[in-house]
Amino acid sequence: VNGAAVLGGTGLAVAVTGLGVVGPHGNDPQAMFAALMRGESAVRSVFPELAKPAAAATAAAFDALRWFTKLQLAGVDRVSQLAVAAAELALLDAVGAVGASPGGDGTGAAGTDSTAVTIPTATRLADPERIGVYVGCGMGGAGALDLAYRGGPRVPPLTIPAFMPNAPASHVAMRQRVHGPVLTYSVACASSSLAIAEAAKAVQRGEVDLAIAGGSEALIVPGVVLAWQAMMTLATFDAGAEARAMRPFAADRSGFALGEGAAFLVLESAERAGARGARAYAHLAGWGSSSDATHLTKPDAAGQARALRAALRSAGLRPQDVGYCNAHGTATRIGDVVERDALAAVWGDALDTLRVSSTKSMHGHLLGAAGALEALITVLALHHRRLPPNAHCSAPDPACALNLVLEPEAAAPAAFEAAISSSFAFGGTNSVLLFRRP
Amino acid sequence: MSSTLQELQDLIHEKFGIDKADLGPNASMREKGFDSLSLVECLFAIEDKYAISMRDEDSNIDTLGELAAVVDKLRAQPAA
Repeated sequence: VNGAAVLGGTGLAVAVTGLGVVGPHGNDPQAMFAALMRGESAVRSVFPELAKPAAAATAAAFDALRWFTKLQLAGVDRVSQLAVAAAELALLDAVGAVGASPGGDGTGAAGTDSTAVTIPTATRLADPERIGVYVGCGMGGAGALDLAYRGGPRVPPLTIPAFMPNAPASHVAMRQRVHGPVLTYSVACASSSLAIAEAAKAVQRGEVDLAIAGGSEALIVPGVVLAWQAMMTLATFDAGAEARAMRPFAADRSGFALGEGAAFLVLESAERAGARGARAYAHLAGWGSSSDATHLTKPDAAGQARALRAALRSAGLRPQDVGYCNAHGTATRIGDVVERDALAAVWGDALDTLRVSSTKSMHGHLLGAAGALEALITVLALHHRRLPPNAHCSAPDPACALNLVLEPEAAAPAAFEAAISSSFAFGGTNSVLLFRRP
Repeated sequence: MSSTLQELQDLIHEKFGIDKADLGPNASMREKGFDSLSLVECLFAIEDKYAISMRDEDSNIDTLGELAAVVDKLRAQPAA
């Protein structure tokens, strides 16, 4: 029906065997998921010196010196630091060694002494030439650029290698000694969703045995916040009400809050994962990508519907087989209605069987890293059979009529077997990932 | 030990986290983990600290002893 949409594969099953996150709710995926289930928002006031109040969800608990020596940090922007840490945590999870030291001596916390790394965690799982790194990043090292403009009389000599958008992928590759494809996808808010889909294709085609796939974004710096404020897409809020600033699908929504962090999945074939006795959290069963080709920033329901249909088709599932949608849900006046219309067009009479939430209400919009973080949350929802809430939506907008998860601590229906994560980008590129219970 | 050497050790410890005991006057900075780019960052910091301007070829210096000698020499010269 939609020949233009890019189909995912239907061959080899792709398993998710490792999860790693460094974000607004900390660096433990399970603790993060528990906080989201309780409806806890990490959005806080930032940069009180700005003329207009700003709120964002930062990776405030991240400690770079747990992962790098000071010397190693020369020329490494925060966006790459977050990526290195989240990718390492995902790989340790895939090895079954979270809590153990990198290098495998089995003592201490992960990454406590980065100088002690001798055996990269990834190479404990696969041949370096058979490993790929697929990273989504929207903006690169915003902090490095901000410092170059505003830091002082001289521009730091490592500004260029710090801010280039493919630096996070390269730093992950160097830390993990990856010799296969190391690729960066910069597709605005769909960057890391597409990175994960492309990684799954490479696994499925047998191009790599192991894929480290995710995204990183660290653009909570004054210049970038001012630019987003100028675009009139950020949520407005009363002083003291920052945590509730982002209200997707609510009648009183006013836009989004920016978020910061990195999230990574480890992907490998289900066959390989089974052979090494690895736990599979979920299978990445389908993906769909499409372009609106209508407007750079105005979303288009028909374009989004093409990506949704492509994801279903590639997984061989019907709409009613999918129990949960982690929505793009940026809480803009236009965007949420368009997303609802796209879901209604594809789900039709089955729309009410689809539970929907935008967890951005709690972790903000991580832009290039949003797709990866939300894919990780979707995987954990399937794994635990629990649905994180669409927070701060006391009065849903009638124009966004969906079966929203309005309550915290929601259990999934008994027959919950599949879930999707949607990412719809500026530029008109849409990406949908479809996960199934293994 | 010259006071400049001690000051450079302090600066490098502060900025790059390398132990002063680990960076004697004859130790190779490259062997301690500096590469050409991080060394330039280090030279920028030294220039800023002493308000001096080092020559491009000074970025080939590999020991703190040599670096301290260059700094002392530049500081002894009247400002151009």
